[in-house]
Amino acid sequence: MSRRGRAWRSVFTLYLPVAPFVFFALFPLYFMVVTSLKTNAELYDPTTVPFLIKRGVTFGHYQLLSNDTLFWSWFINSLLVSVGATVISVILGILAAYPLARLKFFGGDSFGVAIFITYLVPPSLLFLPLTTVVNRLGLSDSLWSLIVTYPTFLVPFCTWLLMGYFRTVPREIEECAMLDGCNRVQTLVRILLPVAVPGVICAALFAFTLSWNEFLYALVFVSPAELKTMTVGVFSELIRGDIYYWGGLMAGACIGSLPIVIAYVFFLDYYVSGLTAGAVK
Amino acid sequence: MTREPRTLSRRAFLGTAAAGVGAAVALDRAPALAQAKELSFLTVASFVPDTDKELKRQFEEWGAKNKVKVRLDIIAHLQLQTKKAAEVQSRSGHDLTALGPGLGDADLYFDYLADLNDVAGDVAPKNGGWLNSDDYLIRGKWKLLPWWQPPFPMAVRTDLLEKIGEKAPDTWEDVLRIGKKGKALGNPFGTAIGHSGDANVTLLSILWSYGGSYVAKDGKTITINSKETRAAMEFVKRLYTEAMDPEVVAWDDASNNRCLNAGKCIAIHNPISAYESAKKDKVVVPGTQTEIASVIDHVHTPKGPVDRKATTGFWCVGVWNFSKNIDLAKDFLRYHFQPENQNKWVEAGHGFNMPFLTSLTKHTVYKSDKQYRFIPEVAKVTVPPSWPGPTTAASQQVWDLYIIPDMFAQYATGKMTLDQAIAWGEKEMQEIYAGRRRKQ
Repeated sequence: MSRRGRAWRSVFTLYLPVAPFVFFALFPLYFMVVTSLKTNAELYDPTTVPFLIKRGVTFGHYQLLSNDTLFWSWFINSLLVSVGATVISVILGILAAYPLARLKFFGGDSFGVAIFITYLVPPSLLFLPLTTVVNRLGLSDSLWSLIVTYPTFLVPFCTWLLMGYFRTVPREIEECAMLDGCNRVQTLVRILLPVAVPGVICAALFAFTLSWNEFLYALVFVSPAELKTMTVGVFSELIRGDIYYWGGLMAGACIGSLPIVIAYVFFLDYYVSGLTAGAVK
Repeated sequence: MTREPRTLSRRAFLGTAAAGVGAAVALDRAPALAQAKELSFLTVASFVPDTDKELKRQFEEWGAKNKVKVRLDIIAHLQLQTKKAAEVQSRSGHDLTALGPGLGDADLYFDYLADLNDVAGDVAPKNGGWLNSDDYLIRGKWKLLPWWQPPFPMAVRTDLLEKIGEKAPDTWEDVLRIGKKGKALGNPFGTAIGHSGDANVTLLSILWSYGGSYVAKDGKTITINSKETRAAMEFVKRLYTEAMDPEVVAWDDASNNRCLNAGKCIAIHNPISAYESAKKDKVVVPGTQTEIASVIDHVHTPKGPVDRKATTGFWCVGVWNFSKNIDLAKDFLRYHFQPENQNKWVEAGHGFNMPFLTSLTKHTVYKSDKQYRFIPEVAKVTVPPSWPGPTTAASQQVWDLYIIPDMFAQYATGKMTLDQAIAWGEKEMQEIYAGRRRKQ
């Protein structure tokens, strides 16, 4: 088939079938961007098309975020908390997943299932007892309260995901390393982890996304305005009684999406291979 | 040769890591002894940001005078329930807290709130007395101070009224007639009939205006099953089917504001927030250059065949009894409730935040704009949501679970017959009140 023919074929067999899904996935993002760039007067006008900007673009909502709120402090706070919680959770997840995937010991399987069940406990049930714990540790109203509590739901998830990934790595590679004199820790660090990079990155991406989007703990454990994370800060400042600052809310959502978008763009290949590991053995 | 894993060194590693994290956490904060006295206050974001600024100014001024470090934390009102629950659970958090909407928090958190009898007694004479002091006593005590209310007048579009040859409505029947004519032009009446505070307010207002109520004065007898309730529900069904759009059952508190400011609704039952935001955003009537704010007027909350009554979100302030600074917190409340500070605070809020103090209902701000002229009148007929029954944890639960809006909506939308809807509402309320009695 000629090059042109192949191109046409891919239009019908690839691009057109995928187009509705791409549209479905990108539509919320598009709507967010459009809303964040409209004037309030246009936002309120029911005669305008909500998906288009007819009366000119405004950056007023972004200015509102930057000048009238502590948005950039919240952004940095979210970044610090998400990175901190992700690093801790991935390290703990690796240390937990390795023995569960590789070593045989009494109760190992049950322990693995127990970790998974822990992941299923919703934060809305956990936040009340955790509040007491956080206060007794003297961590309330500090970013540490979030860095320490986010792993309660991130570690089980990372462990479970990494267990699956580690099991796909041939055991023989590690055995060779051990024959050459590596101990367990060295085997894990020098042999298994380099091979399992896609799985680790996938776990880290998921952990970062979950931390970045987290709302409830961030609301309950941190009160001072300058220490709020972005999700709580934007909500607190831009919903005032029965007035919703839709433009500002959407501007916050747009900027808030960027780190996640960037992270996924850079690590998409790892992410896909990390998720699909074990699907075909 | 394979080597056994060195479990000890791994544990040592974990121990060192844990100790490191602990040390880092410990180093992050100063030793408790070195910390100055601090008073913290959790409140909800006012729709008029200047209100929060004025409160912060007063708080800082008081802190400077008394050499107390102060911290005002502001959250969205929708977040308050979660925050209160967490603070009570851990018995720590802020010293002062906003409570509400509704006085029922005083009963729900009765065991966790400090008595404010002394503060209430000090504040009242300086401000012409409390509006209806008996309403604010919970189990005979001042467990909170009623702080501010946003009265619910009726906001109307004067240009549309003129177009349909009508005057501003004075009764709920007027609202129905105007809404019908407006709907024919594509400008319906708008009030939420779903899970929102506005729905609770408006439907209770209608219920009372038709002579109904849901709990008797004794706070025990459920009175919802009455011919007056039937009349009110019949009216709301007509209002829903003839004068409103079906989407109102899915509305939240912001929806009616949007409807008015989008130039669609001919009238809404709401505080002045919609008007204020229309004015700020310079929103125009669709297809014209006329600003919406210039064709909005606010009139009295409508009366029914029996009465003219309304309710609203009763926002209150309290002091947790697990606070280590109860006396300081009370001292700040006395300061904030001084007439000059209340005056400035009401002024900053453009009258949206009306205190429950007689002299402040006559504040000059209500004469500064003709839009505000009926607000003091509405405040006079505003009663707690449990009226004529007392405010209790059960009445708060009826409010929080939107029993009244659900009951009205089920009949209005045809999901249930009138008898079924009332029987459903009655059963729900009886269970709530019985459940609360069992807990006491």
